[in-house]
Amino acid sequence: MSARASLGIDPEELASCVACGLCLPHCPTFRVTGEEWASPRGRISAMRQVQDQGAAIDQAFLSSMDTCVQCRGCEPACPSGVPFGSMMEATQAELARRRRVDWRQWGFRVLGHPWLLNLFSRGLAVGQRLRLVPSRRLGLPKIPLRQHRLRVSGDDVWLFTGCVMDAWQRSTHAAVKRVVEAAGAGVALPGAAAGCCGALSLHAGLEGHSRALAVRTMRALEGSAPILVDSAGCGAVLKEYGKHLGTPAAVAFSKRVMDVHEWLAARADRLPSALEGGQDLTIAVHDPCHLRHVQRAHQPVTEVLTPFATVVALDDDGLCCGAGGAYAAMQPELAAAIRERKLEAIRRSGADIVASANPGCTIHLANAGVAVRHPLEIVDEMVDYDH
Amino acid sequence: MRLRRTTGTDPLVEDLCRVLPAERVRAAPLERSIMGRDSSIFEGGQAGPVCFPISTEEVQGCVDAARRHGRAVVPRGAGTGLAGGAVPLDEPVVVVTTKMNRLVSLDADQRVAWVQPGMINLDLSRAVAAHGLHFAPDPSSQQVCSLGGNVGTNAGGPHCLAHGVTSAHVLAVEVVLMSGESVVLGDADGFAPGLDLRGAYVGSEGMMGITTAVAVRLTPNPPAVQTILLAFDTVDAAAQTVSAVIADGIVPAAIEMMDRNIIWAVENFVGAGFPTDAAAVVIVEVDGLPGGVEAEADRVGELAIERGGRVRRAADDQERALLWKGRKSAFGAIAQIKPNYYLHDTVVPRTRLAEVMNRVYEIVDEHDLQVMNVFHAGDGNLHPLLLYDRREPGIMARVHAAGSAIIEASLAAGGVLSGEHGIGIEKRDFMQLMFSEADLDAQSRLRRAFDPDEMANPGKVLPTGASCADVNALEKVPEGVWG
Amino acid sequence: MASREAGEELESFAAEVGSGGPVAVVGGRTRWEVGGACQEETRLVRAPAGVRGFDPADMTIRVGAGTPVTELDAVLAEAGQRVNLPLLPGATVGGLLAVGRDDVHALGRGRLRDALLEAVYVADDGRLVTAGGPTVKNVSGFDLCRLLVGSLGTLGLVGEVILRTWPRPLGQQWLVGPCDPVELRRRLFSPSSILWDGHTVWVHLEGHESDVEAEAELARSLGCSPADGPPPLPAHRVPTGELKADGFPGSYLVQVGTGSAYVSEPFPLPEPDPAVVALHQRLKAQFDPGGRLNPGRDPLAAS
Repeated sequence: MSARASLGIDPEELASCVACGLCLPHCPTFRVTGEEWASPRGRISAMRQVQDQGAAIDQAFLSSMDTCVQCRGCEPACPSGVPFGSMMEATQAELARRRRVDWRQWGFRVLGHPWLLNLFSRGLAVGQRLRLVPSRRLGLPKIPLRQHRLRVSGDDVWLFTGCVMDAWQRSTHAAVKRVVEAAGAGVALPGAAAGCCGALSLHAGLEGHSRALAVRTMRALEGSAPILVDSAGCGAVLKEYGKHLGTPAAVAFSKRVMDVHEWLAARADRLPSALEGGQDLTIAVHDPCHLRHVQRAHQPVTEVLTPFATVVALDDDGLCCGAGGAYAAMQPELAAAIRERKLEAIRRSGADIVASANPGCTIHLANAGVAVRHPLEIVDEMVDYDH
Repeated sequence: MRLRRTTGTDPLVEDLCRVLPAERVRAAPLERSIMGRDSSIFEGGQAGPVCFPISTEEVQGCVDAARRHGRAVVPRGAGTGLAGGAVPLDEPVVVVTTKMNRLVSLDADQRVAWVQPGMINLDLSRAVAAHGLHFAPDPSSQQVCSLGGNVGTNAGGPHCLAHGVTSAHVLAVEVVLMSGESVVLGDADGFAPGLDLRGAYVGSEGMMGITTAVAVRLTPNPPAVQTILLAFDTVDAAAQTVSAVIADGIVPAAIEMMDRNIIWAVENFVGAGFPTDAAAVVIVEVDGLPGGVEAEADRVGELAIERGGRVRRAADDQERALLWKGRKSAFGAIAQIKPNYYLHDTVVPRTRLAEVMNRVYEIVDEHDLQVMNVFHAGDGNLHPLLLYDRREPGIMARVHAAGSAIIEASLAAGGVLSGEHGIGIEKRDFMQLMFSEADLDAQSRLRRAFDPDEMANPGKVLPTGASCADVNALEKVPEGVWG
Repeated sequence: MASREAGEELESFAAEVGSGGPVAVVGGRTRWEVGGACQEETRLVRAPAGVRGFDPADMTIRVGAGTPVTELDAVLAEAGQRVNLPLLPGATVGGLLAVGRDDVHALGRGRLRDALLEAVYVADDGRLVTAGGPTVKNVSGFDLCRLLVGSLGTLGLVGEVILRTWPRPLGQQWLVGPCDPVELRRRLFSPSSILWDGHTVWVHLEGHESDVEAEAELARSLGCSPADGPPPLPAHRVPTGELKADGFPGSYLVQVGTGSAYVSEPFPLPEPDPAVVALHQRLKAQFDPGGRLNPGRDPLAAS
């Protein structure tokens, strides 16, 4: 690797940080380390050292970049509107180009092939039953042995099903589909034609791979119907296809994408009433970063849940839980330390159940013994489908 | 991929690693260069090894190691100071206290808490909220700044008008002196006989030692609060109303003023319901017991109307929160207009407010710049924000020239150099405008009583420091400013 | 630009202090013995007296340190204002600041040390030095003002000061009763004073009339009844941290929430930390190496 390098970050973006530090408390890694190199301000300073001053890409630089959860909690906190996520994506892309061997390329490639992922998941599920897979240590949820097929019920809206979530948490999709149908829409499904949205590849800097996945996803979800997404991480990326690909088709595609709660909140009056006893259940809403900070659409979750349960907010200003896509697997120590703060907030809230609209957060929190459900699984159980 | 080794065999680093675990001593070039600045406009400070102690003993160990190697020590909290107080000059050992962030003890009846210096200001208020208490100083950076930093700069904030700045809320501090000794100044639950060493230490900008614990006085939350938005057609009328409120015997919890440009920007940004046709708005908050609060809120309204103002009283907590959101989003709104800003901080006697503000507008016009004013009007604490785009050639010279002129105008009106940001590097060489040689000599003597060898954060505050060369080497400082 | 100009009276005060020989500044002699007797053959000087500048809308006042505090209070009363100094008859502003003992109302009005914004003093070498600044908010340089309050004139002889003023409250009331002082403090929002002698509590309320009435009602429900004023303070001040379960020897009065108690019998002060003593010695060595300012006095011995 050569010592002098441009990171390919837009110089305007790189110059936009005025180092005020207002991002620091919103950064999960700064919160748990207290160290500047693990903060957005420090990371931008490091990017400037490399790109503007010609500093070497050394171990210190790599730690600074690779410990970033990419939760983008710093973005809404920034008075100058610094596009930190895009700067970090550019940096990761440059670092990925420089890595000769990156096992993540092979790992994430599996996500693009549903049949391969299903085969792999089946193997994992069997391994779990035979206690051959250390699930807890790997941070894996219990993977189902058999998958129920989801059936198309119309063409009013698309439900984006994705990769890992479809393989491991298809029952969540089923619940979401029932709730959407109860609100009066027929649901179309992409099936195996879509698959991975490309988020993990994008965050790891594997640009070519993430582009290919985006093109395929766009092709699978054709037409003009709204595209509903029940995974916050996927929704965030689908909404940014326009920005990443820069084509008119991608821009038009991104405009059709909605988090499923956004869509439901606008149709709350069409949902059936709640079963009795729902208000006895106290639910703390955990805002996934990619819903709160990136899509900035976390309020609808609370709006949709409120008729069905007693909803309480967490008092930690939406700080990340540490899941971060593949982050929990790549940086287990930091991820656990970050999660500890979230667990304290959950304990303070006194809630029975935590609702999370992102599969990564769900798995990460459940591994610490928290009862976590997708918000629409809770609605699905509490809604009176007979009325 | 091959990686460069990042830690060398610096004997100082080796010594520090005997005191702290190696992962809490950061000495790689990048890790040091990241510590080269704080939230001020000064870039390119030179940090030596960066230490993250977690106890008083570890801080003492860091200081001892630095002393053995003849290195200065710079204490640092969250690094959000605006005067360059935490910018390291000449590769000192940087002692960062962010990992010392616990609430050590709380006596809710006595309203006293011992906290570690790295605790975040707002985290303290949150931690004691269940007891109906809060920590009164609320600098705009309160969600990020550390209490150790608040002690270092004697920090203020909008709600310091009635309740006083940090010094009035600090009962005792535990300090590690540059000799390595740890000493408690003041007394948390009694009074300390003798000189008020605590008072002399608060606001010393890291030049007397390193704060390792703070005993703070907590304030009960007021039972009643009223927030009033006043809108005026002229800045003069707004400033006169501020003076009239004070002269009427009312000491509100906060009086904040914003002028036309910032009102417009804030409305565009968050839509707080500020009248965009006003030349200035004033937010007045009165708190306390309900009788006095009602009477004072009524009187504030009358005084404003007499001076041609329009009055809107927040009907509920939601509207109150919206008005404060407007005030606190001011900095965010600025980015819409220009990418960079230089935030000034001077204080003038309250009766001279209108006059000095008009002078500020003239100065800014003379230098062909844009200004926005959003400030603590109740105590005369001006915060003109000079807007600029640093890519514009020659702009920095104009920004600094206008800044100097604003400082001179404030002093000429009987004001002072800084109300809450401190002197640091930024105003070090303006100190002679306010203080005589004898005055500065006395301050220097105070510093030497605490730190005889001048090893704690050298080169700040006092204009006759030894590190002029380092200061001149900092970026963004145009020629002549430090001359 | 020159530093702030000193008036003629200050110049002549500085000249009188001079730069040689032991010298002490004398006020109203109300607390003349605090911190040790003044060494014999010490030349006594008086600081200038009188109000030098007062604009009520600034809520600050500039006075000569030799001004009697009651005279200052009379001027402020006309504008409906006051300063946070004890109104000790005969005492001067400078004397009260040099001793630094809080008013009985420190719980609600704040500490005396926070009243001082700016001080012009004569240093050991006879030069006039300005500490602090004229505005209510100021962090320009180190906070020498806090150091001067309670220094018994051992670091410099204060000639003139600027003080922060406060509005006089519309209503006030003292109450007395056999209550629990901690309970009283917890329940009342902002009493200006709570005094406790081990059995009886005296509490002072001030503010808007209707608030004082409401708080007094609350205090009455806790067992208090109206009183004319506080009891006389015993002579010696000690930190409340020294208070044992059985109180202090003799009679005592605790000033709740301020860390001070007053006792009738002399009581040994806690032994200061050697590092604190060393700091005192170094400060004296820096500010008055010849030991000519107020010789015989020791702030550490003051209570």
